[in-house]
Amino acid sequence: MPANKDQLSAALDIEGVVPIQSVQLDAMVVLKIVKHCRESIPATVTGQLMGLDVNGVLEVTHSFPMPKNQESEDFEGSTYQLQMMRCLREVNVDDNSVGWYQSTNMGNFMNQSLIEHQYEFQQALSKSVLIIHDVSRSSMGNLNLRALRLTPAFMKLYKENKFTTEALARAKLTFSNIFEELPITIRNSALLNALLYELETPDESVEISTSHLTTYKNTNNAQSTGSKTVLTPNYDMLDLSMDPFVAKNLEFLMETIDDHTQEQGNYAYWQRSVERENKKKAAYLLNRKTENARRAQAGQAPLPNEDVDSMFKLPAEPSRLDHLLISGQIDNYCKQINEFAGPTLGKLFAVGELQK
Amino acid sequence: MDATSTLHLALPAVHTVVMGASAPVSQLVQPRAFATSVNPLVFFSILDHYLRRNAGQDRVIGTLLGVRSEDGSEVQIRSCYPVPHLETEDQVEVDMEYHRTMYELHRQVNSKEVIVGWYATGADLNQYSALIHDFYQKEVSAFPAVHLTMDTALTNERLGVKTYVAAPVGITSKENNCMFIPIPCDVKYFKAERAGLELLANARNTDSSSTTLLSDMDNLEQSIIQVQTMLERVSAYVDSVLAGTVPANNTVGRYLMNTVSVVPKVDPVEFEKMFNSHLQDLLMVVYLSNMTRTQLAVAKRLEKLI
Repeated sequence: MPANKDQLSAALDIEGVVPIQSVQLDAMVVLKIVKHCRESIPATVTGQLMGLDVNGVLEVTHSFPMPKNQESEDFEGSTYQLQMMRCLREVNVDDNSVGWYQSTNMGNFMNQSLIEHQYEFQQALSKSVLIIHDVSRSSMGNLNLRALRLTPAFMKLYKENKFTTEALARAKLTFSNIFEELPITIRNSALLNALLYELETPDESVEISTSHLTTYKNTNNAQSTGSKTVLTPNYDMLDLSMDPFVAKNLEFLMETIDDHTQEQGNYAYWQRSVERENKKKAAYLLNRKTENARRAQAGQAPLPNEDVDSMFKLPAEPSRLDHLLISGQIDNYCKQINEFAGPTLGKLFAVGELQK
Repeated sequence: MDATSTLHLALPAVHTVVMGASAPVSQLVQPRAFATSVNPLVFFSILDHYLRRNAGQDRVIGTLLGVRSEDGSEVQIRSCYPVPHLETEDQVEVDMEYHRTMYELHRQVNSKEVIVGWYATGADLNQYSALIHDFYQKEVSAFPAVHLTMDTALTNERLGVKTYVAAPVGITSKENNCMFIPIPCDVKYFKAERAGLELLANARNTDSSSTTLLSDMDNLEQSIIQVQTMLERVSAYVDSVLAGTVPANNTVGRYLMNTVSVVPKVDPVEFEKMFNSHLQDLLMVVYLSNMTRTQLAVAKRLEKLI
């Protein structure tokens, strides 16, 4: 089959010519990520994604969680990873690492360590992706997943580790293009579809064979919800309590703005000191000029030319990376508030109509 | 499958153990697990494992992990992992080393989840099931091991999921002698997982069986449409009862009464106040956040000028 062959050659595109256009997650991966992230609230957790890229679509077919304290014991983390991947290979799982995922709360994921991690990933595997799962937003009734990659411009700057204003301006890098976001699709296998249909219809056969035992069933714990008909409609979205979310979001936003102000203070301080040094330098040069002019008049040889630049060292410009990230984070929060406000306004007016 | 006959034989054992935990009928000291709940993720993983089975293999098995309630009477199956095994005409080989390694790896991430049993695909319990079950029974020691089967061949056109515990049979208990007693099994999930499942359920109706993520607004729209259809259905039913075409059902009537009475009665003035203050809050927040964004955008433009 020619179509198949095309696919095969695309899958074996080792040189990595085709850039990734979108990310396709297997249903199981979605659930695994959700489960892992939920279990470890409020800590942020990470995990590995495995899969293949086929013709610009990154298919993520498997994932596994990483142990929590991996920063402190770096060595153990990597052995864990290797062992896990070997084990998964044995059961025919795609053992090709394609990225990682991280949980987040209210979308506060823009920080140095995340950038560094993703940078390392993209450096090693050019087609790796970062999946961000926002637990607090997902629990409001709408699954919140984002697939992100660092942009080539950012990769280049990060490699040179030169985050000066000039370099940023030259690379046309602003907070909005640190990451590129890829569209996510979610795919079910045929058997999974069967399962989903099955979950929707109550299973009578099980009911019958176990009915005589159900009398002993004790009261279930409250933390789980669910019943025989699993896919009962979900109305979390209609929840009217908007205050906690907005308050929390604003709190975070304020914190970030404080950071931003501090960062701006740092920058202004740097600017002032640069200015001061420049002034000193200009004064010195002027001094030297008049001195030389006087000596020339007196018929003396001018003073030897010294390296002026080395005498007045300009302070190094602070890295603008923090500033960039903080701006990105602020932008993120604002967007989040806006995204949230739309449906909430709708809900408010709906309730208003209802009460009339 | 002769499960029905075994069922009758086995039941008294369950009774004794459950009613009087001290009765030395069973060799197990702890009461039996008689209720299980399964996280949907387990089903998903099993299906994925089944899809990735080796050529020529028609059954896959794996270990189930989960948590038990304190008295061991309820088991929540939270996750699972595949274990390679080999079945031939006359023997079965399970890769125990693999099972242990994977368990150790899982422990590093989630120490709360312990081994609670094992799963297999296919609706039948064959002679090897007892052998494998015996092994897992040793793994979980004091508690009864749970066996979960999933009919991936879709006999009876369903993915019949069944859970069992084993009871020893015969006067002298031998490892390959046991009866599998079906136990009830629920599907349970947490609120955050709910949203994920919802989305997956959307995917099943499309041709490509794939879906994209919805925005909050789209999701709200869907919910509202659902509520609307439900309201329409109820009002159609009420109308038909009033018109006398359908006999009135007391239970349904009571449910409806309860639902209607849930809607709170709020004083219009009070409501107006609440409504307006909320609205103002929200609009203010949106306005401020938009201001911030504009500021950022201006800064962005200015930076380019340098």
